[in-house]
Amino acid sequence: MEIVVNIILAVLGMYFLIGILFGLYFLFKGATKIDPLMKDTKKKVRILLFPGIIATWPFLIKRLFKSKSL
Amino acid sequence: MGLDYQLVLWNKFKKTYDKIIVLAMLLYVILFAAITLTFNSETSIETLIIRAFGSLAIIMLHIILIIGPLSRLNSSFLPILYNRRHLGVSMFIAALIHGGFSIFQFHALGDVNPIYSIFTSNMDYGSLTNFPFQVLGFFALLILFVLASTSHDFFLSNLSAKIWKRLHMMVYIAYALIIAHVFLGAFQQETSTFTIGLLITGFIIVSGLHLVSAYKEHKVDKTSTNGTENWLKVCDISEIEEDRAKIFTIQNERVAIFKYDGKLSAIHNVCKHQGGPLGEGKIIDGCITCPWHGYQYLPHNGQSPPPFTEKVSTYQLKLENKTVFINPKAFDEGTEVEPCKY
Repeated sequence: MEIVVNIILAVLGMYFLIGILFGLYFLFKGATKIDPLMKDTKKKVRILLFPGIIATWPFLIKRLFKSKSL
Repeated sequence: MGLDYQLVLWNKFKKTYDKIIVLAMLLYVILFAAITLTFNSETSIETLIIRAFGSLAIIMLHIILIIGPLSRLNSSFLPILYNRRHLGVSMFIAALIHGGFSIFQFHALGDVNPIYSIFTSNMDYGSLTNFPFQVLGFFALLILFVLASTSHDFFLSNLSAKIWKRLHMMVYIAYALIIAHVFLGAFQQETSTFTIGLLITGFIIVSGLHLVSAYKEHKVDKTSTNGTENWLKVCDISEIEEDRAKIFTIQNERVAIFKYDGKLSAIHNVCKHQGGPLGEGKIIDGCITCPWHGYQYLPHNGQSPPPFTEKVSTYQLKLENKTVFINPKAFDEGTEVEPCKY
């Protein structure tokens, strides 16, 4: 059981770590590429979005790649 | 609706609702503390906080879950629905305080990582009576974090309404985890029939209201329309309230027929913002206003007023005596249709 616990926590930790790294890039650069409304969005709003970006980074990465391939 | 994202979409009414939420939360915590200390003056402050915010989060979650079905059954509950997003974030804050204090009190004072300790301090996973209930609460809190952190129009727009809605349906998984967390956890230590009864009552109310509203929706879908050739008879004009709509299912699509200023117009019932039921909204300032988040559409062409760009399909209507007929063929989104005058 301890192995299962270790795997779950490692996966969760990795997910959040990648989310934080991606979030830092996305918040100040990537987001504007997929959403024009982000261009004039204030810094405090971007910071508010940060936890959500960490939580949903796989979906946002997919959108970012799609927008680049267009 | 806006040209950039705002921190919080507040208006006069939402500010009032938020003040009520904060005051009610404070009042609950104070009352909970007063009652607990009256009956058990030795309760520590940490335990008090854990229990007060834990029970508050559960009560708020029940309210959040019943708002949807209640508003479908009775439109007077719609104003609460408009503020469900803020209620959800407030509930997450209450749950976070509960979880944070629990982790601090029970898992953070040793030399093991607190998160690791949640999973390993009790390894009796095979037992029902001694199951490590904290793990269930941890996963419920994770789900609530995802929901609260994505409760912003940015995510609705960029994840797509479909994915956003699917993510937010996870609230039911969180609810199941929380119910199990409370049953297996709190009742291991303190078997209170009153608390068990309250939780069971809550579950019956939540599931009962969902079933009743689903039955009502099913009846709307089955509403019969009849007619010949291109026109389907839908209803008598008197069945539609002024500045409101009646919803019909036309060829498996829900259509809202609005009555306003001596005119009738029909549009697709689904709001482009988050799939809200436009037909449950009303005409405000000449625009059909979605009951969920206030997105607006002009009734005669299904377009959001400039500079906004959302569009929904429109339908042609005709009136014979006092009977309303609809052409089931939807026009392209945003197509102008002459309103039917009466």
